[in-house]
Amino acid sequence: MLTLEKLEEFGANVEDGLGRCMNNEAFYLRLVGMVISDDKLDRLGELIEANELDGAFETAHALKGMYGNLSLTPVYTPLCEMTEYLRKRTQMDYGPLLLEAKRQKKILTDLAGD
Amino acid sequence: MKHIIEEKNKNFRRLVLIVDDEQINRVLLGSIVQKQYDVIFAENGKEAYEAIKEYQQKISLILLDILMPEMNGYSLLEVLKKDPVLRKIPVIVLTSDRSAEVKSLQMGAVDFIPKPYDMPDVIMARIGRSIELAEDRFLINATETDALTGLYVREFFYIHISRYFHSDSNRQMDAIVLNVNKLRIVNELRGREYGDAVLRNIGAKIREIAERSEGIACRSEGDCFFIYAVHRDAACYADWYDEIVAEANKAAGNSKITLKIGVYQNADKNMEIERIFDRALIACNTLVNQYGVKYALYDEEMHNKELYSEKLLGDMDTALEKKQFKIFYQPKYRISGDKPVLCSAEALVRWSHPDLGMVSPGTFIPLFEMNGLIYRLDRYVWEEAAIQVRAWKEAFGVVIPVSVNVSRMDVYESGLENSLMEIVKSNGLKPEDLYLEITESAYTDNSEQIVDVVTGLREKGFVVEMDDFGSGYSSLNMLATLPIDALKLDMRFIRNICTSGVDYRLVKLMIDTAALMSIPTIAEGVETEEQYRLLREVGCDIVQGYYFSKPVPAEEFAELIKKELTA
Repeated sequence: MLTLEKLEEFGANVEDGLGRCMNNEAFYLRLVGMVISDDKLDRLGELIEANELDGAFETAHALKGMYGNLSLTPVYTPLCEMTEYLRKRTQMDYGPLLLEAKRQKKILTDLAGD
Repeated sequence: MKHIIEEKNKNFRRLVLIVDDEQINRVLLGSIVQKQYDVIFAENGKEAYEAIKEYQQKISLILLDILMPEMNGYSLLEVLKKDPVLRKIPVIVLTSDRSAEVKSLQMGAVDFIPKPYDMPDVIMARIGRSIELAEDRFLINATETDALTGLYVREFFYIHISRYFHSDSNRQMDAIVLNVNKLRIVNELRGREYGDAVLRNIGAKIREIAERSEGIACRSEGDCFFIYAVHRDAACYADWYDEIVAEANKAAGNSKITLKIGVYQNADKNMEIERIFDRALIACNTLVNQYGVKYALYDEEMHNKELYSEKLLGDMDTALEKKQFKIFYQPKYRISGDKPVLCSAEALVRWSHPDLGMVSPGTFIPLFEMNGLIYRLDRYVWEEAAIQVRAWKEAFGVVIPVSVNVSRMDVYESGLENSLMEIVKSNGLKPEDLYLEITESAYTDNSEQIVDVVTGLREKGFVVEMDDFGSGYSSLNMLATLPIDALKLDMRFIRNICTSGVDYRLVKLMIDTAALMSIPTIAEGVETEEQYRLLREVGCDIVQGYYFSKPVPAEEFAELIKKELTA
């Protein structure tokens, strides 16, 4: 089960994220749960794979907003970087950044499952 | 004046629209904003635009994301900016991108909230400040009374009602709408000053009536007045009619001014004031083209019709989702050769409603048109028709083009060409496989814009048919100037072609003229052999109608194709 402590350990800026949720712990954790079950990160991978950079930008941008608002920094950081490259439609290997975002999400998902 | 609004606002929660495609962002922002405001949500610009149109008088602020599917934030800002009423609603843009901030402000946004979001207090302060500024601006610009008649303007009329009348539940009140018939024509024939004198007289009489009826009145718009007065017997409204008309005609001289009066008696005070007057307006509109009837009361039948319409409108989303709209195909036959040859089809839509049974398109299409929703149904039909053309192509190896309707409203959509291209492409079709029917009246409404749009569509390869030719005020010389590929004659001419010499000659004239311009003609509503024979005789190219086949489901149509191929 997710707790604020676990999220802090994970590297989330819990104070900020919780603040946006008017310090309502249950509400914050519910939103984090929603992020965990969201599958857009996989979709981002597919779009990058297909070199559909317009769609990839929109998806990365949306993900960045979601993770940013909940201050889930470890996933937010690689997504920020990807969004900026994708904004310019840079042709590059997005694999390492995507992998990092996915790895961090997996850690987050596992925390919820523990 | 300001104190009236302030007082009204004390106990009233303003409405904020949040537009964001991300559910989490909507939930998060919604929970912050809901502390102080009522909130509605939209997932993209298009949904937001629908909500804004529906709640335009109630929305105090829009929180708008920029990057969204369907219609993004910039496009919505652009649409709002063009609308004189909607552009007054303040918009705060939600963005994480610095360049978007500047662009949004340039496009009319009043502020922005950066992403990740600020702390709730900061967000609320920004929202509060933006609403306050917009309302102050309204007060500075607002005028309480109409300069011409001295009556209230509608906005203040509503405020007065909510303040002085609506809270008194013991008193039964009537809402009355008065519409001056054909004032526009009077203005055109006799000049604006003359029309203004008529309106002034009407306004003065209405004020007198309202005062003695313990009510208030406003000039709602050009030729339309509202009164909210203590309930009375319906017969009194005939007297009001006579009094007002007599006063109007003092100024009108030789012209004879007439009115329509619609009354919603014993208004339900739990309803919003706008809705109360909508009911009076519904009653008023039943008098269109009914001469000699002085007033109409909103009654059970209108109420049921209103409820029925609301049900249909409310059920549209589910109907689209669950494919309750069924497409029928009516075959069109080319008759210029020895024998009729199946050449294309027209897509016609029916609604198989789970509770109401088969709903006639004559009921739901005008309703969707009136409420600005027809584009959604049109798009659905385009997609279904394209899928069907592809299915037949795959099954029989031939393309049977299908005509679909393009409504007036679609023509004003900036993405029309792209949407249609996307639909044909995604089905592996060519533009010429989808025929587009545009009704004649759309051409006469705004011919410049429609010519541009149709020219664009034809350049892409779409075949454009002008529907209902001869039903409106078009003239034959339009054929020389308008970009069209086929002319579809109004059904009424065909109906009488055998019995009326005039209609026969008119049909012949239209077909001859079209032939001169090398425009093929299509006759619909062909029901008898005699009609078919006469149409052949006058050189009509293509026919459709019950004589050949009624509109049939796709599976039955496939049988017709099979039959044609083996003939």
